[in-house]
Amino acid sequence: MNASPQDNQPIGIGTLMKAALIAAVIAAATLLVVILPAEFNVDPTGLGKKLGLTVLAEGKTKVPADALAQTNQTASPEPVSMSDVPDPIDEAGAKTSELIEVIVPGGSGIEYKFQMEQYAQMTYQWITDGAPLEFDLHGEPAGDTTGYFESYVVASATTVRGSFTAPFDGSHGWYWKNTSDQEATVTLEVEGRFEVIGLK
Amino acid sequence: MHIDSERHCRHLDDRHRHWAIALVTGLLCLAVGLEGHAHGVDDNTRAFLEGSTGVHVGPFLYIGARHMLTGYDHLLFLVGVLFFLYRARDVFLYVTLFTVGHSLTLLFGVLANIGANAWLIDAIIGLSVVYKGFDNLGGFQRLFGRQPDTRLAVLIFGLFHGFGLATRLQAFGLPEEGLLSNLIAFNVGVELGQLAALTIILLALNVLRLLPSFQRIAVVTNTLLMSAGMMLVGYQLTGFFNFA
Repeated sequence: MNASPQDNQPIGIGTLMKAALIAAVIAAATLLVVILPAEFNVDPTGLGKKLGLTVLAEGKTKVPADALAQTNQTASPEPVSMSDVPDPIDEAGAKTSELIEVIVPGGSGIEYKFQMEQYAQMTYQWITDGAPLEFDLHGEPAGDTTGYFESYVVASATTVRGSFTAPFDGSHGWYWKNTSDQEATVTLEVEGRFEVIGLK
Repeated sequence: MHIDSERHCRHLDDRHRHWAIALVTGLLCLAVGLEGHAHGVDDNTRAFLEGSTGVHVGPFLYIGARHMLTGYDHLLFLVGVLFFLYRARDVFLYVTLFTVGHSLTLLFGVLANIGANAWLIDAIIGLSVVYKGFDNLGGFQRLFGRQPDTRLAVLIFGLFHGFGLATRLQAFGLPEEGLLSNLIAFNVGVELGQLAALTIILLALNVLRLLPSFQRIAVVTNTLLMSAGMMLVGYQLTGFFNFA
């Protein structure tokens, strides 16, 4: 049997409408100014950016090439430029280059992945501005339901370069973990045969 | 204290009111501090789920319990359901209906590998919170002259809550080996977490119900419940249109 709210004093329809309206207004305001900017970088009012919330969702931004050169000058080991690394064998599709900035919030880990065919190659270089990040460069086979993945490199560093050839079709890329409480920015340059999936 | 003979409820005098407010505030802070997630599974859980094979009753029991205790969409719905349930047998009835609903779809969803869209399911769960807040305000009675059967609504929304639990678990590709045992352990864990959540919620509600301004508190709280549900719906639908 229903425990009816009418056991208490029923509220009038005016109060009901007012309540529903207030609920909707609070929800809309919170969604538009706080939740959507912070979670999805969706900021129709522009206020989310003013409050500084959109940085939480800005997983991917294009950075001009000289910005990468600037960070290179402050890093201790001299990074090799992409042209020094031998070109991967161009099988079927064209090679793509991407310059990506990934934000890893303090105390958390994120994944950034690329869709790659079996035997597609990727050459990469990444650098982070602060403390060393733990990372796992790994691949997950397409269509897998067992949770299997292969780690190609697992380490902790501020900058890494190299290349790999995908052993299977699937999503390949990095898991970066920021154990400090300061937000870290990873500047990642990749070249090869892939499609960007992005943040997972 | 004096007893209101019509309602058999007691009102707190000023001396006790402050303690009541402090207790409720404390419980709310505890609840918020447990850090709700709507979609995520944290790194340690992810690492465990991705690396494990075989039967792990303990871990899945714990993951299930924590899932319920940090799933604020489930908790908000529970608050709404329990809000005006005064008798133990009503509490028992509605909690059982919710439990049967979500257990059925949790098990079915994972075992039959139902590929439901997590964003849409979670949007419906958000809708369940809006529904309950509105129903608690007597909205259906006022607006439509009749109230939908609350027991049926709790059961049906329970089914959707269960699909939400299932999609969360499915997102990590559980290995086939030991799946049934792990799944049942997860389900039992969810119920244990629900039991703990129930206790805290009922404690807080019973304190609130003693306050003389409970009527007004009820209107405010259920309005906020509707608002929270709307935020959930907005968030999940945005996720669906952006990422599904």
